[in-house]
Amino acid sequence: MYDHLFLITLAVLATTARVMGLIALSIISGWFLAYGAIKNRVFENIFLAIVEIFESVPVITFFPLVLIIFITDVGGSIGVELAADFLVFTAVVWNIWIGEYQAFKTIPREMIEVAENYNFGFFDRLSHMYIPFSIPRIAANLFPSVADGFFYITVSEVFTVGLTSYSVFGVGSVILYFISNGYYYEIPVTLLVLGVAILITVFSLRRLTDRAVAKYTVDTDMPIMRRGRPRLRQSATVSAVMSINPLVKLAKYNRARQGKTDLEELYSRSRKKNRAWIVVGIFALMIFIYLIYAAYSIISSVSYSQWQYLFSKTPGLLFGLLLDYIRVLTITVAALAFAMTFGYLLATRRKAESVGIPAIQFISSYPVPVYFPFIFIAIYPFTTSILGPHTEEGFVLALGFLSTFYYVFYGFWMGMKAMPVEYTEIMRNMDMGFFKKMRYVILPSTFPYLITGISSTMNSAWGGLEIAEYWPGISSGKTLQVHTGLMKSIDLATKSGNIMLAAWASFLFAIVVAIYSILFTRKMMELAKKKYVAEEGIYST
Amino acid sequence: MEVVGLDFSYENGYKVFQNINLTIEPGKFVSIVGPSGVGKSTLLRLIGAFLTPEKGQILLHGKPVLRPTPLISMVHQSIVTFPWMTAKENVLLSLKTRSIEKERSEEVARRSLEMVGLQGFEDLYPKEMSGGMRQRVAIARSLAGEPNVMLMDEPFAHLDELTAGGLRQDIYSILFNGDATLENVIMVSHNLTEVVELSDAVFILNDNPATIVGRLDITMPRPRIHRDPEFDRYLDVLYNYLTKKKGATNV
Repeated sequence: MYDHLFLITLAVLATTARVMGLIALSIISGWFLAYGAIKNRVFENIFLAIVEIFESVPVITFFPLVLIIFITDVGGSIGVELAADFLVFTAVVWNIWIGEYQAFKTIPREMIEVAENYNFGFFDRLSHMYIPFSIPRIAANLFPSVADGFFYITVSEVFTVGLTSYSVFGVGSVILYFISNGYYYEIPVTLLVLGVAILITVFSLRRLTDRAVAKYTVDTDMPIMRRGRPRLRQSATVSAVMSINPLVKLAKYNRARQGKTDLEELYSRSRKKNRAWIVVGIFALMIFIYLIYAAYSIISSVSYSQWQYLFSKTPGLLFGLLLDYIRVLTITVAALAFAMTFGYLLATRRKAESVGIPAIQFISSYPVPVYFPFIFIAIYPFTTSILGPHTEEGFVLALGFLSTFYYVFYGFWMGMKAMPVEYTEIMRNMDMGFFKKMRYVILPSTFPYLITGISSTMNSAWGGLEIAEYWPGISSGKTLQVHTGLMKSIDLATKSGNIMLAAWASFLFAIVVAIYSILFTRKMMELAKKKYVAEEGIYST
Repeated sequence: MEVVGLDFSYENGYKVFQNINLTIEPGKFVSIVGPSGVGKSTLLRLIGAFLTPEKGQILLHGKPVLRPTPLISMVHQSIVTFPWMTAKENVLLSLKTRSIEKERSEEVARRSLEMVGLQGFEDLYPKEMSGGMRQRVAIARSLAGEPNVMLMDEPFAHLDELTAGGLRQDIYSILFNGDATLENVIMVSHNLTEVVELSDAVFILNDNPATIVGRLDITMPRPRIHRDPEFDRYLDVLYNYLTKKKGATNV
């Protein structure tokens, strides 16, 4: 048992380290990419287009690509490790990158002028200005990323293609080992240890983000984002930072001045900078050429009869996609209803909030695929008596909901927290009821946050469906599955080793999702930016 | 309106007010002045029942005010409008909680906008308006709710001097024009000139914990001219109050 406890601890540490390491990698790479984007217009357009498309394409779409590149081309244990890491990376990276880009893009002009004035170089600008300024944005995106990371790590650590199972050392593989060797008592212990690790991670991150936001948020005269009574401790920290700033700046200014006024040196530095961008450009071009080549070699390897086979399957796949969209919409509506009631309750009651938010952060970070079989076993008989032949559909929707509800919840809750305090006072002053508040003030105020949340919830719901629509052995002798669904088709194709069909289905899926994103999400975001910016309702000099 | 024996402390235990007492006669425009940080805006929020006092109570028509009510309406320092609503929709908002017919609501909104001089601008969005126009929208929204008391927290602070001057000239006639249901206006301001220009009575808040250290009734006829020596005399009295040391005799 002690050996197993040691094994469990190591596995949980490996899984947690993988998630946190990949988040750290996302943050660090994002700083450089975001800096590149704000400095070079061409790079900015490419960066934004890629992030926008990949952000709206769910992680599972990458699965066949991962199989081809990492399992087939790289191979071995390194290939499997890279495959698992890549899947998690694609789950956590986009919102962190876009958050950093937005922070870099909105840095106050005055700060940039100070940096120019003191002749800061690349690393000075990044470390003294851009990185600190991006910290609150990163903090805001951290919890959904951690939740996504833990969700995908457990399904990426073990996967089956045809008759071959691939696994890397971590919670997923250790649970599989215990099940296949009959060590059933060890499974709840693993879940408990994982729970403790997630709890420690969530609470450490909470402390870290609280301190980071208190320290790095730029103080402005606008009374937005300040709600309720003043937080003296936070204000004191901000004041302390602000008050030492002039001395720090002066010291740095003096340092920067020494021997750095020579114009020729400035020009030569500028030339060096340009050379660095050429190197980055060549590297990016090489990756692009490799991707084109990989795509060409895959397409050219498909024979005419195989294309005919794929086209014959297409109508069925599209029908499955239609049904899956209905499932995703159902999950989103349920998540929205939960957010609007529970999110409202927490945002307006401080005591409930101090308990409710950490609880939701913990629940959303605990990977659903790990605990869902227990819920399934516990309530299956009861659910069957209510839902009858639709029981499995109900479980699929429930898993989808649990795996994704927090995006729209966080969006709504953050939107409410960012709502000007004056709006709250006016609603109280007019004695508005819940529905009137929602209709006239809260929903319009939180609209930009809601659209982001809804969009992420819909994208993430696909991941939940991918697991739930075909889950053999969810409990002894039972398979959770829907009658028809695109995710089920991809699952079945992958598990039977028909990678070609899985890749084709994923490709169709990616196209439809990208079109949906462009037609719906982007339009809604434009509307939000144009009309529903609550901060614009507060006029102050 | 009455404030009786009000005590209030912040959550960290810092005592802001001790034994605040105010009696405001109907038909009066009163102001509360005091040094920066003394708690003027906090007192206004206590009067509006946005905050709960530790001790004491707020009485309107002899009845205690226990929670925010449309009868006591707040106009904020940062000018608050809803950017997704037109001027008319902003004003209509305060009528949503009352069960009145649509035609009547529209009529009240139109009249309120007319009262503040915004006839013809009903369909503009706040973004298309100047700061002064937006503050007029906020005042119209407040008036449309037919309040008995209007609380104004530095209502001209975010306007340029010319716009603020224009609005100050209009405000008294807008608020007490006979059509409005207002009985009192309570304004908080650090600008002594606007306080003398607008107020019938001024309460001076000072000391630590703060309390009302004096009341000054201003009996100058309206419109009040800044160059009038009497205007200066009132300013001097207020200035002396605010710079007076703790424990000095109240007037």
